[in-house]
Amino acid sequence: MNKQADDFFKADAMKADLIKDYQELARQSWETFAAQMQKQFGTAGAEGFSRSSSAKNSSANVTVDHALAGLKSYADWLQGAAASVSTPQSDWRQQMQQLFGGASQPFSHGFGGTDSSGAKAFVEQWQAWLNSNQKTGASGAQPQEQGSTTGFGFGHEQHAQHQALADAIAQHLEASQRYQILMQRSNAQAIEKMQAKLSKLAKPGQQIESLKVLYDLWVDCAEEAYAEIALSEEFREAYGEMVNTQIRVRQLQQEQTEYLCQQLGIPTRSDVSSLGERLQSLRREVRNSKTSSAASHAEEIEALRRDVAALKEQLLASNASRSVVRKSHAAKAAVAKAPRSAVKKSVTKASSAKSPKTAAKKTAASTSRAKPAALAKTRKRK
Amino acid sequence: MVPHSPFRMDPAKIMDEVSAFQRKLASGMGQLRGARQPEYANTPRELVYSEDKLKVWHFKGEKKPTSKTPLLIAYALVNTVWMTDLQADRSMVRNLLEQGEDVYLIDWGYPDAVDRWLTLDDYINGYLDRCVDAVLQRCKLDAIDLLGICQGGVFSLCYTALHPHKIRNLITMVTPVDFQTQDNMLSQWARLLDVDRFVDTVGNIPAALMNYVYLSLKPVRLNQQKYVGLVDILDSPIELENFLRMERWIFDSPDQAGEAFREFIKKFYQDNGLVNDSLEIGGLRVHLGAIKHPVLNIFAEQDHLVPPDASRAMGRHLGTKDYTQLAFKGGHIGIYVSGRAQREVPPAIHQWLRARD
Repeated sequence: MNKQADDFFKADAMKADLIKDYQELARQSWETFAAQMQKQFGTAGAEGFSRSSSAKNSSANVTVDHALAGLKSYADWLQGAAASVSTPQSDWRQQMQQLFGGASQPFSHGFGGTDSSGAKAFVEQWQAWLNSNQKTGASGAQPQEQGSTTGFGFGHEQHAQHQALADAIAQHLEASQRYQILMQRSNAQAIEKMQAKLSKLAKPGQQIESLKVLYDLWVDCAEEAYAEIALSEEFREAYGEMVNTQIRVRQLQQEQTEYLCQQLGIPTRSDVSSLGERLQSLRREVRNSKTSSAASHAEEIEALRRDVAALKEQLLASNASRSVVRKSHAAKAAVAKAPRSAVKKSVTKASSAKSPKTAAKKTAASTSRAKPAALAKTRKRK
Repeated sequence: MVPHSPFRMDPAKIMDEVSAFQRKLASGMGQLRGARQPEYANTPRELVYSEDKLKVWHFKGEKKPTSKTPLLIAYALVNTVWMTDLQADRSMVRNLLEQGEDVYLIDWGYPDAVDRWLTLDDYINGYLDRCVDAVLQRCKLDAIDLLGICQGGVFSLCYTALHPHKIRNLITMVTPVDFQTQDNMLSQWARLLDVDRFVDTVGNIPAALMNYVYLSLKPVRLNQQKYVGLVDILDSPIELENFLRMERWIFDSPDQAGEAFREFIKKFYQDNGLVNDSLEIGGLRVHLGAIKHPVLNIFAEQDHLVPPDASRAMGRHLGTKDYTQLAFKGGHIGIYVSGRAQREVPPAIHQWLRARD
C-alpha cells in the first residue's frame, strides 16, 4: 500500500516537474522565436509575425524600426567608405573590394534573415528546444545516417520523434548552406558588375565624386545580380529546400508539443484546428441553406404571382362579359319605362362613368385581396 | 596595368557629405518618431453589405454618377483595399467618381484563426458572389461591371467565367494569368514549396511573412535604399506624411486564410491552371474561354510582382471578341498612386466603360 502511495506521489512529483520544465521550455522557445523573428523581419518580432490588432495602429513606429534597421548599416558603410576614400590608393579595384566586399557591404541588412546568421539563429533555437526536451526523459538524439537503426520498446515513439527533429535540423542546416552559397555568388557577381560599370566611368567628367552616387550604383548592381540568381533554377531548388526543411523542423516541434499537451490533458493545436474546420463547414451549410431557402421562396413567390395574374385575367374576362350583359339589360328596361329624353341621358351617364373594363378591374382587385385561400388552393392543384 | 580610377572624391567634400547625412538623420529622426499615423483618403462612403469580416462600401462622389451600371472593385487578399483610396490627391476611387462612375468596393477584412478553412470556393462563389448580388439587388439590375485588382483580378476572371450572366463588363488591373513566365520571381520561389506541409504547420499565413517575401524580391532597394532616400525628405512634412502613409499601407496587411493560400499556390502558381485550362473552383471548371464579355486588361510595364507577360497572356485565353489591353508606364503600386496614374488610368477606365454602358 505504502509503495503504491509512494509511486503515486513520485508520479505526481514527476508530473509537476514536467509541467515546470514544459513552462520553462515554452518560455525559452518563445523568447528565442521572438528574437529570431525580430532579427528576420526587422520589426516587431513575433508580435508582428503573429499579427495582432495593435500592430494595425503602430505603423509610424514600425516605419521607424524599419528605417533605423535599414539606415544603420548604410551609416556604418558610409563612415567606413569615407575613411577609405580619404586614403589615396593606387588600385581602385582593390579599394572597391574594400568598400563592397565581405562584411563591409552596405546591404547586409537587405538580406537580414536569409543570410547565414539568420539560419544559424533558427537552428540554434530548435537545437535548444531539442536539448530542453531531452531533459524531460527522452534519450539523446543526434542526426543519423539514413537507414540507421532507431530505438524500440517503451519510449520508442518519443525517441523516434526526437531523432526525426535532430535529422530535420541537420537537413535544414545543409539547405541553408546551399542557399548561402548562392547569396555569396550573388554578391561576387554584383562586384563584377560594379567593376564593369565603373571601368566605363574613368574618363574626366564621368567620375564618381560622391558616396551616395557610388552607393546607388552599387544598389543597381546588387539588385541586378540578385535577380539573375533568384530567377535561376538552382535558386528555385535551394529556396524551396530551405523553406521546406525549415517548415519540417517546425512541424516536428509541433508534433512534440502536441504529444506533451496530450499527456497533460491540454487542448492541442489539432483540436483547435479541427473545431475551426467544423465551424467553417457549418458556416457553409448555413449559408447554403439560407441561399437555397431564399431561392425556393423566390420560386414559390414567382409561382404565386403567376397564379394571381392568371386569376386576374380570368376574372377580368368573366366580369367584363357579365357587366356588359347586365348593362344592356338595364338600358333596355330604362328605355321601356322612361320618356325618350331621360333615356338618352341615362345611357350616356352609365357608359361614361363605368366602362365594362374599369368595373371588371375593380372587381378583380377586390377578389384577389379577399380570397388568398382560394389562390393557394389553385396553386396546390397545379 | 591599373586602369584610370573612376573615383574622384575630394576627402573634404566626402566628410561634408557624411556629416550632412548624419545631421539630417539626427534632426529628422525626431520628426519621424513624433509623426502621427497618416489617414487614408477616406472618401465618403456607406456600408451596403457585410458578412463575417467582409464589407462592401458604396462611395459617394460630389456629383451623381452618370454611369448607368455600378462598378464593383475586388481587391487582392494580400493587402488592404485602401491602396485604391490612399490619399485625396492619389485616389483611384475618387477619380473614378469624378469621372462619373458609381463605385462599390469589397473590403475583405483581416482573417483570423476562425477563417483558417476558408477556401477559394468560399471567396469566389461565396463572398464575391454575394457581394455582386448585394449590389445587383440594391441597384435593381441583372448585371454589373466588375474591376478586379491583382489577386482580386484573378478572382474576378474566375467569377466571370463561372457566373457570366451577372457581369456586364470586366476590367482587370495588374492581374496575372500565366503564372509561370520566366521573369516571375514569386512563381520561381513558389514552384517547389511544399505548400501542404506549409499550411498544415503554419495555419493562416502571417502578414509579416508575406511582407518579408515581397521585400525579398528587391531586398536592398526595399529594405535599405528606400530609407536612405527617406532622410532627404524628413524636413518636408508633406512628403514625410506621404511616405508614412505608404509605409502604413505596406505593413498593415491581413494574414492569409490557410486553405485559400494553399489552393492559390497550387492551382495558380504550381499548376498554372488558367493557362492550362485545368482550373476548378469548388468543383466547377473555370474556363477562360467562357468569358465572352468586353474585357479591359490594364497592366504595369515595370511590375516586379506581376510581370507584364503574365498579364498579357490573358488576351490569348479569353473567349471574348471585345478585348482591350492597356500598358501603363509604371510599377505595381504606381498604377494607383502615381501622378501619371491619376491622369491616365481612371479616365481610360471610364471612357472604355462609357462606350459599353
